[in-house]
Amino acid sequence: MPERNYSEAALHSTPKGLEALFNSGSEGVRLWRPEELAAIFRHQLTAPVLVDLGRFDVGTAAKLKGLTDSQGLLLKSFSELFHHPTPPLELLALTKDFAKANMNHPESALPGEVATAIYYLSIATAAVRLGERISKLTDADLRRGYAWTCAQHWVDPETKRLLLQASGDLPASEPGTAEPAP
Amino acid sequence: MPAPAAGRIADRLSQDDKPSIFPATQWTQLGGAAIGGAEDLDRLIRQYWAPLRIFFVATFPQLRADADTWLQDFAEDKMLKAGWLARADRHRGRFRDFLKTSLRNFVFDRLGRAEVKQAPVALEDLKIEVADAPPPSEAFDLDWVRTVLAETLRRMEEDCRNPAEDQPRRSHIWEMFRIRLLDPIFNDTEPPPYGELIARFGLVSPTDASNLLLSGKRIFRAHLGRVIQAYAGQDAATAAEIRALEDFVAGLAKRG
Repeated sequence: MPERNYSEAALHSTPKGLEALFNSGSEGVRLWRPEELAAIFRHQLTAPVLVDLGRFDVGTAAKLKGLTDSQGLLLKSFSELFHHPTPPLELLALTKDFAKANMNHPESALPGEVATAIYYLSIATAAVRLGERISKLTDADLRRGYAWTCAQHWVDPETKRLLLQASGDLPASEPGTAEPAP
Repeated sequence: MPAPAAGRIADRLSQDDKPSIFPATQWTQLGGAAIGGAEDLDRLIRQYWAPLRIFFVATFPQLRADADTWLQDFAEDKMLKAGWLARADRHRGRFRDFLKTSLRNFVFDRLGRAEVKQAPVALEDLKIEVADAPPPSEAFDLDWVRTVLAETLRRMEEDCRNPAEDQPRRSHIWEMFRIRLLDPIFNDTEPPPYGELIARFGLVSPTDASNLLLSGKRIFRAHLGRVIQAYAGQDAATAAEIRALEDFVAGLAKRG
């Protein structure tokens, strides 16, 4: 699509176009369309851990470098972190915090759905790979979160298996306690 | 009515190097006898000439043929005179309304003066007609919004295309804003899907992508604020004016 003179175009725009233009600068408007979540989630899993977490908290960049390289793990991406047999616990906790910070912010850098999935994935990974609990959520809340994440069509099968395992490892829920999606 | 002079404002409107708009001056600073900003006011007038013209022609259709001359005289006799802008006190209403009222009064006043010979229309007839006609404010305000947003986009593009050394991604910000938000509005196209953006912009993570788009939104908002602040004044008045303009176009868009 050849570029046009947008300033000139605005001078002839309809009220609907002008309204859309105002909205384009508005806070709280979704950046990405729902049908793009699959590509965004895939991209997030292949993204370098150091890049996103380093930006999230600049002060911990050096620490992160040490963590990702620790024990010769040489973790580079979030996918490698989640699917490593013994991922660094601290790195999972930082990932969880990064995801949480992006979950409900109006101008979040991650779509809320993807941030939520990363959040529960961090907790599930710590539970399944290390037997550690890095969240204060109740079992019911965790089960609900895992179930919601598994239900997203854009979550890959390998990740779903991890979430199902984490959910299965939780103590059985009491009969009659319904667990709606978050 | 005086004849148009060579080199007058209307003759210069087509210049490519259209300057920025209203003087970046607070209302409270405009009370002095000499504004000392004739150049700024000149720019102001040139920027908002189109909405003023629309208002003038809609209000005084009988004077359409001489619209530019009337506006030229209004600019020289009123707007460029020291003290005029000072009267547009922010406590007395919005600048846009002040401008319209001022122009109306100017026309009535001039037509009513004894020295105006062979006026194109009798003042009394004109007053009756204006009173009966629907208010042309909507057309004026619509063009005003267009002018404000056009100036905002012009500044934003210029800003992004001429980045400072420490802003190497500025051109990417414009490009992302353009293809994701502007093209769908102005070209009625679907924005390119996320997957395509990864290679196009060399994105390493979704955060990268979002930050480009969010930066574009912030730059747009910042320029919009500056464009409006130049005539609306203080932050609160600017925020109110932005809301008023948004509500106005939303109302029009809803009516279709």
